[in-house]
Order: sequence, then C-alpha cells, then structure tokens
Amino acid sequence: MQRPLSSFAFAPAVKVKLINAGFHTAADLCDLRPLQLSKESGISQQEAVEVLQTVRHDASQGAGAGSRMTALELLGREQAMGAIVTFCSALDSVLGGGMPVGKTSEVCGAPGVGKTQLCIQLAVDVQIPVCFGGLGGQAVYVDTEGSFMVQRVVDVAKAAVEHCSLLADDAEQREALKVFTVEDILSKLYLFRCHDYVELLAETYLLPDFLSQHPEVRLVVIDSIAFPFRHDFEDLSQRTRLLNGLAQQLAQMANQYNVAVVLTNQMTTKVGNGQSKLVPALGESWGHAATQRLILHWEGEQRALASGTCSLLTMLRLTHLRFRQGTLLSASAPKQTTTRLEDIWLKNNIQLF
Amino acid sequence: MGSKKLRRTNLSVEICSRLHSHRIETCRDLLSLTPLEVMRVAGVSYSQACQLLKTTSQACAPKMTMAWELWRQKTGLYFPTSLAALDRLLQGGLACGTLTEVTGPSGCGKSQLCMMLSVLATLPHSMGGLDKGVLYIDTESAFSAERLVEIAQSRFPDYFLARERVAEMASRVHLFRELTCRDVQSRLQNLEEDIISCRAGLVVLDSVASVVRKEFDPSLPGNLTHRSNLLGKQAATLKYLAQEFGIPVVLTNQITTNLSDLKPATSFKWNSLEGSSLAAEDSGYVTAALGNTWSHSVNTRLIVQYVDAHCRQIIVAKSPVAPFAVFKYSIQSDGIRLEGDDDQAGPSHQGTDPGLQPIRVRSGFACNLTRGSSAIRDMRGSYS
Repeated sequence: MQRPLSSFAFAPAVKVKLINAGFHTAADLCDLRPLQLSKESGISQQEAVEVLQTVRHDASQGAGAGSRMTALELLGREQAMGAIVTFCSALDSVLGGGMPVGKTSEVCGAPGVGKTQLCIQLAVDVQIPVCFGGLGGQAVYVDTEGSFMVQRVVDVAKAAVEHCSLLADDAEQREALKVFTVEDILSKLYLFRCHDYVELLAETYLLPDFLSQHPEVRLVVIDSIAFPFRHDFEDLSQRTRLLNGLAQQLAQMANQYNVAVVLTNQMTTKVGNGQSKLVPALGESWGHAATQRLILHWEGEQRALASGTCSLLTMLRLTHLRFRQGTLLSASAPKQTTTRLEDIWLKNNIQLF
Repeated sequence: MGSKKLRRTNLSVEICSRLHSHRIETCRDLLSLTPLEVMRVAGVSYSQACQLLKTTSQACAPKMTMAWELWRQKTGLYFPTSLAALDRLLQGGLACGTLTEVTGPSGCGKSQLCMMLSVLATLPHSMGGLDKGVLYIDTESAFSAERLVEIAQSRFPDYFLARERVAEMASRVHLFRELTCRDVQSRLQNLEEDIISCRAGLVVLDSVASVVRKEFDPSLPGNLTHRSNLLGKQAATLKYLAQEFGIPVVLTNQITTNLSDLKPATSFKWNSLEGSSLAAEDSGYVTAALGNTWSHSVNTRLIVQYVDAHCRQIIVAKSPVAPFAVFKYSIQSDGIRLEGDDDQAGPSHQGTDPGLQPIRVRSGFACNLTRGSSAIRDMRGSYS
C-alpha cells in the first residue's frame, strides 16, 4: 500500500498530474472515486477509472506477485516439458537428454563448421512423433543470413523418415509413420526471412502471438542472431541494450510457450598481446543471454562440440556421417572429463571469456 | 522494410505527431527503443506502449512461408555451372538467393570462371542457362569482351554459329567499372533498378577485395572495424537482392598471408605471381583474404589453387549442401573444364575452417616463349 505512484505503469503525463495534485503513494488513492480524482488532479474521467483499477488490482494481488513453487515442482515441470532428441546418443547425453525445451540455447562456431546444419537437424528432429521418443511438434525458423537451403532439409527429412521406419515395430508407430513423411515435415516448418535487425526485432514482438495461434510449435531457431547486429551499428551501447531486451523477450517466450529457443552466433577475431584469438561475437554481455552455450570448432580436420556452461566438461567429436544423404549426426565416444575447457581452446586459439 | 514511415502504418495521427517531435519517423527509429523509452516519448502507459510496438512490428515484419512452398517451386533453386561433377556435388549448381565466393591466387582462373558463368546465364533454358541478363561489376579491369566471345564460341560452337546470337549474348552482359569503395557502395545501393531494367539473372562482383584492400590499411586503428562494417553492409545488400529476385550472386576474393601465432598480416598483398616464392620461407600460410567475419557472410566458398605449374584445383571449402571436396580443372579456350573422372572427388567427412584453409600459390613458372606466341597467333586467327 505504500508503493509510490511513480512506479506504476501509467502514462508519464498522468503521473505528473497525480504527483502535482499531492498523491504520492497508492494509499493516498484508496478511498477515492473516479469523479473526485479527476477533479482534484485534472486528469480525464477515463484515465481516472484506469488509474483506480490498476491500483486496486495491484493491492489485491498482495506481496510476491510472481509465481512461487518448490524445486521439486520445478523438477517435475522441467521433466514434463521434455527435450528435442537428435537420435545421436552421445550428443543427447552432452546436452543432458537433448536440446532443452523452455530454455534458450546458443550455438557458436567458426564459419562452415555446421551451425546451420545443426539447426536444420533440430528443426526436423522436433517433429519426430511421440511414440518414437520425439516431441511431435512444429518448428519456426528465422533466417537472417540466407543460409537456409530447402534441399538440405529434404535430405535430412528423408534420412529421419528412413530411420524411423527401420525402428517401427508396433502398430502405433506404423500409424504415426503415415503422417511423418517428407511433405509433412516440410509443411510444419515455418520460415521467416529477416533482412536486417529491425525486421528481426519486429518478428520477435510478433512471435508470441504466432506461438499462441500455433500451439504445437516446440522449437524456434534464429540463424543467426549475430549477422544483422554486427554491421549496422555505430552506437554499441544501443546494440547492447537491444540485444539484452531481445534476450529477455526470448527467454520469457521460451518459458511461457514451452518452446526451445536456439540462437546461432558467429565468431570474431580478438587481437591482443600479440596473439589473435577467436571469441564468440556480440560482446561479453551477450555471453550471459542464453542458458546454455554450445561451441562448435575445428580440431584439425574434425568438427568438435563443447558445452560452454561449465569448465570441466565432456568434449565431443562430431563426424557428419553420410553427408549427402543427410543422415543424422553420429559422434565418437566422449573424451575424458578431466580435460579443462581452457586448455582445449588455448590449443585451438579460441577464447570464451 | 525498416525504413517504412510511421505515418503509413496503423498508428493514430496524434501519436505520430508526438513521435515526430522527438524525431522518430520510421519503424526503425521506433523499434530501436525499449518499451520504457516509448512510454516517455509517446506519453502513453506501459500496456499502450507495448501495443504500439506490436502495431509497428506488424507493419514491417517479414511474411511467413512454409518450407513446403519453397520446395514446391522446384525450378529456380539453382544455376547449373556446366561442370557436371561440381553441379552434382552442389545438388544442382550455384544456389540461387545466396552468395557464392570464388577465392584464390591471381591468375588461377577466377575471372575466367566469372566470364564463363556470364555466358551460361544468357543461354536459353533448353541449354541449361537462365535466359536472363548479367550484371558484371568489375573493379580490377579484368573483364575482356573478346574473351567472353571466345568462350561462347568455343563452348557452344553450334549455337553461336550465327553472329546475331553472339551479338545478343554480348548485349545481355552489362558491365560496370567501379574503382573506389564509394563507387562500389553506391552501385550496390542502386543495383535494384539495374536488375529490374536489365532483367538480370546473375550478378558478378569481381572482386570484392581489391577496392577494400586498396583503401583500408588494417594496421591503422579503427580501420579494421570500419572495413568489417563496410563489408557487412555490402554482404547484407547483396543477400537482400539475391533473395528478393531469386538470383545467384558470385563474388571473387583475393588471398592473404596468415602468420599464425602472430598478428594477422592482412596488409600483405599477394597479387604478383613472381613474389610467391616467399611463401615457403615465412612461418605463415596463404589463406583467403578479408578475414573471419567475411567468411561468415558468404554462403558458399570455392577456393581455386595451383597444384603445380600446370595443374589447378577447385575446392569446395564451405557449402550448406555439399561436403568438402576437391576437383582438378584446367583453363581452355572454352573456359573451365574439370579433369579426371567424375568420381575422383569422393565426398569426405573432414574439412577445415574455410577462413583458414591454406591455399597453394604458384611458386615460379617456366614459360616457353616461342610456343606461347604461336598459340596466341592461332587464337587470334580463329575468330577474326
């Protein structure tokens, strides 16, 4: 009841008039009627009604307006949400069961290492029917770089359908296969092509409405979030502000609509101390934006994936098996966990922090 | 779409005038503000500010398409290069709507490849072409109309028997000579009108690197970021044009020396052939120019390099649809020809960072002068 009026979400002009009329906290307004308020403060009757409704609504909610739950309830909820399995057991184990739904993940990597391939893989894998262990959902793909190739999606989709038909042994699975064809997969993949950061921001404001109209979407991919933000900005502090706002909106969207949000980032060269290192682009503060960070890099002639959220980690080598047929990724056994992340990256001239 | 004026969206006149007094005219200006800032400039409550942002977003957000619709229009997805093994690997040819970069040492055949692709783009659909015009932006003065005609007549001798066809092909290739960064930039800004009026099906920029490296010295502070910004803008403009018109864009790039463990010496220019013997002595290796950020911007990277004095190779270093592969080729009077049997480039699962892939330069060459000049005499005689 002691909440100051300036902290409410009224229009600035209304706030100024209320304060000038002598109303400073919510308690000052408690027994007032709209006509009296409007006469005393000089605001219109409509505005007075809105002000009083907002103040009363806030008072009735009581302290702790956010939801509260115990860790056990949260665990149950997280397990119920599931994860996007990739049919590659080593990769799924590094990711902790698959790409987590309800959280934002970031995939960084050098050019050509396979970030877009991984995203296309996930966009197909999210549609795997529930009886095969998948989520049976749909996917939204926001492409800012033009690297989305529909031929590649067809390759990966064909391989996924083939893999599932080899696995099918009971009637339910065979039934599910009838609606899991290449055409179905392509028709459940929604594509948005953004040419600059303004279109990307606009799309992010409109995505919540899209997701409520399409409640089966379980994956939102933004490939890549770095490209539109890297060349158009003279004012870097504005860029940081916009990126932070974007990160918050995406995290809220992931949580509220139960989708996995996957962002792709690029690498940039940082020159210092006579050495050049590869670091993820978009700056230091962006490093905290996503819940989980995956770094794809080259180790000699192999591609490797590292999970960047802890320093003692499982390093994983990825070999793309039968690239032409777009088969799902296959990986060799994970390396020992005692290798320190920093040592691996120092060897390859990559720096995370 | 970000530059759409707010007056033309569904916002009320009163709000538009309030925003105008704060110099917020376009969708870009409004969407660059946070909701709290919008509350302040528009004088509305928080929920109204969010609604305002949503209305503005609806005015400039992209339309949704389904991947199924893209796949249904089977044609117009790629541009065949007439190099059969390469086309098979790239699943049809150069992908339309994307940027393809050809990089390598000078004299390796980048401009030859560009001219050959220009001829192919003007051919009718029945012969594997696009039946459209070509916009050729030349910054190095490497384009030669005589060579274009020679390639056309040697590669398709039956089709180009009639002189009218040769003339028609040549009139479809529109050449722009730009020599400074600013000229290239303004040409790209106005390219949309040229594409529509020339009915272009292919845009070639030969080369991206030459003007940029002439004008930006990366050792000066701030120049590297300025250069990256300029290249990023060029890439974004070209990608927008490529995607909107559904055409392929081909760019050429140069090479640089990457002195690993030391500061990248991007100012080291490798334009001359004879200086290439230094490559073996330096601790670094030769790689594609313009840096890591540019490697991200292009969608496909083809590297051409020398194997020895007579043999050259084309490497698919970065591609969204093809694995890492190597082909041998040679330059003949009819352009580029792949050599060896078709299966020699088995797709591999390995690869390297396309920005760090080492490129072999020619380490000196022997030239038989008498034989060379008689060959030139023969070529001149054949089409006069």
